[in-house]
Amino acid sequence: MNTFLVSARHEMLNTRRARTAHLLLIVFIGMVIASSVIGWVTNQTVTGIYEKVVADGLTMAPNPFTGVTPLYYTRNAVIYVLLIGSLMAIVLGVQSTLRDRKMSTADLILSRPVNSSARLIGQLAGLGAVLAAVISISLSVSWVIVSIINRAPLGWADTGRIIAFGLLSWVLLMTFALLGMLSGLRSKRETTALLVPFVIWSAVAFVLPQIGTAARPVSLLNPVPAVSSTGGYFDVVSAITGPLSVTEQFKRASSIILQDSAVTGSATPSILILLAYLAVMTVIVVATPRNRMRSGLHE
Amino acid sequence: MNSTWTIAQKELLDLRRDRLFGILIIFLAVATLISVGVAAASFRTELDAYNLYVQQLSASGSATVPAAPLLFPLQLLRGGVEYLEILGALFAIVLGYGTVAKEKYRGTLQLLLSRPVGRFAIPAGKVLGLAVVWLVVVALLTVMTTAAILVIGNAPLQGIDIARILIAALIAWVYLVFWSSLAIGVTALSHRLSTGLIVSIVVWLAFVLIIPQIGDTMDPDNQVPGGLFATLNILKADELKVLANFAGFDGIRNGIEVSSVTKHFERLSFAFLGVKDKYNQLPIGLVWLDMWGYAITLAAATLASVTFAVGVTSRRNLQRKIS
Repeated sequence: MNTFLVSARHEMLNTRRARTAHLLLIVFIGMVIASSVIGWVTNQTVTGIYEKVVADGLTMAPNPFTGVTPLYYTRNAVIYVLLIGSLMAIVLGVQSTLRDRKMSTADLILSRPVNSSARLIGQLAGLGAVLAAVISISLSVSWVIVSIINRAPLGWADTGRIIAFGLLSWVLLMTFALLGMLSGLRSKRETTALLVPFVIWSAVAFVLPQIGTAARPVSLLNPVPAVSSTGGYFDVVSAITGPLSVTEQFKRASSIILQDSAVTGSATPSILILLAYLAVMTVIVVATPRNRMRSGLHE
Repeated sequence: MNSTWTIAQKELLDLRRDRLFGILIIFLAVATLISVGVAAASFRTELDAYNLYVQQLSASGSATVPAAPLLFPLQLLRGGVEYLEILGALFAIVLGYGTVAKEKYRGTLQLLLSRPVGRFAIPAGKVLGLAVVWLVVVALLTVMTTAAILVIGNAPLQGIDIARILIAALIAWVYLVFWSSLAIGVTALSHRLSTGLIVSIVVWLAFVLIIPQIGDTMDPDNQVPGGLFATLNILKADELKVLANFAGFDGIRNGIEVSSVTKHFERLSFAFLGVKDKYNQLPIGLVWLDMWGYAITLAAATLASVTFAVGVTSRRNLQRKIS
């Protein structure tokens, strides 16, 4: 069996054995499923509020939820992919490359006629399979819950949109897993290896969007991307920070795919940006020199 | 000098030499300053738009002058408080974890345990050391952000504003000590060091990001961009009357929110800084009357966290640790 397949299988086996990884996986799957229920309960309440307001003669405005798509209930899954999924991917990525350095098994593996790039791509493929399985499980259960809420199975078009959202989530999570792998390869200490990608994640998720849109950090926890403040400074800065804000690009593309009426336009530019990040990160990780993979930790 | 203070001093010395700590604090400071700068820029943009609108009205011969946007300087600190709430808590966990992990990694744990120190001296010293560190960090951040309001925000501050900022700083310090102590306790309890860090981060994720996010998501007014009631043209008084019929749902929503210590920190800080309109320009005494419950719960949570850290960081737990 070649290096690629062995590494991929080994990575999946390690993830299966890692109990802390399980904790994150359970939290992620649980929250993605819970998001549909939360969305439904809230929607029911808001509909009740609207009916009460109309009954009291306080408004003539149409129900803002008229014509809402069945996928409305999955919108919160976007934020859980971004919050829990990204951190889970980082932890898995860090552990995959740090493990060999920590236990000095990298020396043993690389003493064999093993191509270092094939080894890293194999590890990445293993992580990719794990993340794909997690996303598939959570979105499948979510599909069932949304179908129950709507009292009918979701149609092909909506199912296709959920699959597209799953694929996009996989692209984002793989990018963060690669960031974790890179940190695991380059850091001198385990704490730094875990912390640096978390800091980068927080800068990308909170600081960058705030600079460009004036959105407050907590408001960035909404599933809908922040709307830019317009005029002077913000017009210029958002043009620069917009493409760098991977998480906002993910929110934008996901909202369009899931037919969130708050976001309009084409998802294509955001998807291309996400794919570009994935490609760049893959090249950077795979190009890691052999001696870097063998370097020990300073602790 | 007792052994608790000696260990606290060692923590201070270690952290002063730790580059990672320096990077984290600089990152937090930069993010906080950016938030003040962005809030000030946002206000200026709003003011420019207002001035342009007034000019256009005047050019069209209208005598009506709409109310100008008002700048409340302390509201520029909202983003900074939110950064402390999210990133500050994360960095506090990292410092708490690091203070236990470094002894194992450096091989100094056995040396430390071979000395004649009391049962609680090591954890109490570590918590005390981190409490002093956070006091210094919060003091620095307070000075920086106050200067940023004056210089970047170009907003004057009164004596009462400084008092409000100092109260918010005290609340932030208590909150950060809570997270550092929690991380010390969790790391001490974990068999494997990295598990301690990851479990602490999962707790952070749940209490700082997920629970408040669920609360926000369930808020009926957050369901429509611009607000549900604004979209339906409902007046505030009518809104409250309608919501009274959904008190059960709102109770559950609020219950979920306040199960997170982060919400207590946020509500307290926003109240004293006047970020929430309800408390803006309200005398401190009246804010306290309304918010003392949150102050008590935050203090109690921190005390519980410190007790947990000191209680579980025992010789036995420290010695069975593997890296």
